[in-house]
Amino acid sequence: MNTNSNTYTVIYTTIIVTLVAAILAFVSQGLKAKQEANEKADTISQMLTAAKFATKAELQKSGNTAVLAKYDEQIEQAFTVGTDGKKIADLERGKVFSPKDLKKQNYKIKDGSDAEIPVFIFKNGTTVVPVYGAGLWGPVWGYIAFEPGSTTIKGAYFDHESETAGLGAKIKDDPAFQAEFEGEKADFTTANVFDIVKGGAPKNPDGKSVTDNMIDAITGATMTSNGLDAAIDTWLGAYSAYFKGAVNPKTEEE
Amino acid sequence: MDAKLKETILNPIFKGNPITVLVLGICSSLAVTVTLKGALVMALSVIVVCGVSSLILSLLRNTIPSRVRIIVQLVVVAMMVILVDQVLKSFEATYAIDKQLSVYIGLIITNCIVMGRIEAFALGNKPWPSFLDGVANGAGYGLILIIVAFFRELLGSGTLFGVDILNWLGYVPNNLVILPPFALILLGCIVWVQRSIQKDLQEK
Repeated sequence: MNTNSNTYTVIYTTIIVTLVAAILAFVSQGLKAKQEANEKADTISQMLTAAKFATKAELQKSGNTAVLAKYDEQIEQAFTVGTDGKKIADLERGKVFSPKDLKKQNYKIKDGSDAEIPVFIFKNGTTVVPVYGAGLWGPVWGYIAFEPGSTTIKGAYFDHESETAGLGAKIKDDPAFQAEFEGEKADFTTANVFDIVKGGAPKNPDGKSVTDNMIDAITGATMTSNGLDAAIDTWLGAYSAYFKGAVNPKTEEE
Repeated sequence: MDAKLKETILNPIFKGNPITVLVLGICSSLAVTVTLKGALVMALSVIVVCGVSSLILSLLRNTIPSRVRIIVQLVVVAMMVILVDQVLKSFEATYAIDKQLSVYIGLIITNCIVMGRIEAFALGNKPWPSFLDGVANGAGYGLILIIVAFFRELLGSGTLFGVDILNWLGYVPNNLVILPPFALILLGCIVWVQRSIQKDLQEK
């Protein structure tokens, strides 16, 4: 047979491409449930890390089942709120927001349509909320945990899709960067809820930051730091009405 | 095993190593060698992709229209890479590593070793030798990856496979080792060592 004729070439490539597409679709469908379970456990372990129940490495070692069990044991309530701070609906037990869900809400927050953003409250009173935005190469997201009934940050954990290893990837890999958030305060009265400052946050002579809502950016990762800063401002800004009500309910009545 | 087959397997491991002699696959060898675990998973992935793609294309070699052979190769290699990525994502044990390797698993498609061996070997040889050639080239690539990752993890984090080796002695991890340039320096050292052993590689 002449394998170089046009008809043969067209038929051959059609068959190969269709076959490969069918194999990939089949495998993707077959493995989807497992992949989603892994992603969910990963998301939950990020929240637990931010809320200081354990470190990410410990959770990773303990396995998916243990992570889900720990979350189930510690969670008090999970619900969604609007940007007006009013509760919209309870989340199903064990339901979390995947990065894809966060992306959807991120668009809604930005164009001002009715976003439904999640709030997770644990039994010890710690409140955890997500943030999501654009880094240098791809999305960055994470979770910020607040002390019970306050705007003081208890802990934070960030993740990314494709930031530069050793530079931007430090938002995830460098515990020292995440530790900077601890004890800082989010300032819900301004649009600049929280600042990640290039060149170092302004400091008093005693070495403490001038303001409570500023931390140092990562050297060599300006774009990632700026992206994360914008993500935090956008998302915590969207939560500001909720936090104003939750932290200081009386002010609204007056 | 006859001598020719043995040569097919052993040559890519040392004498004709794809990284140090052919200088292929440099990009990913700089990027994924921060930890031994990552390097090991990457090495295994490339071995699987390289071996199976060579096997499939060698089986198809007499039917492929020569005008579109590169496209057919690309489709098969891309399929293998996506399959490997999907499988890594599905297991609890490999999910975190897959996330850490992120785009580099997908970029195996562009690894010149894979397409290079298919074009140079698999399209002209029987399936079994082609499979071995693919696996051996993947292994030659993986060997260098693991050597580089061994030094980078040991000196850059003070650990091996995440187990503390140097830190308890008071070792301060060297941050330069974590950055890609150090991998290039290490790679240069490996090439240097190999050329001083294998004199015929030296240029006059």
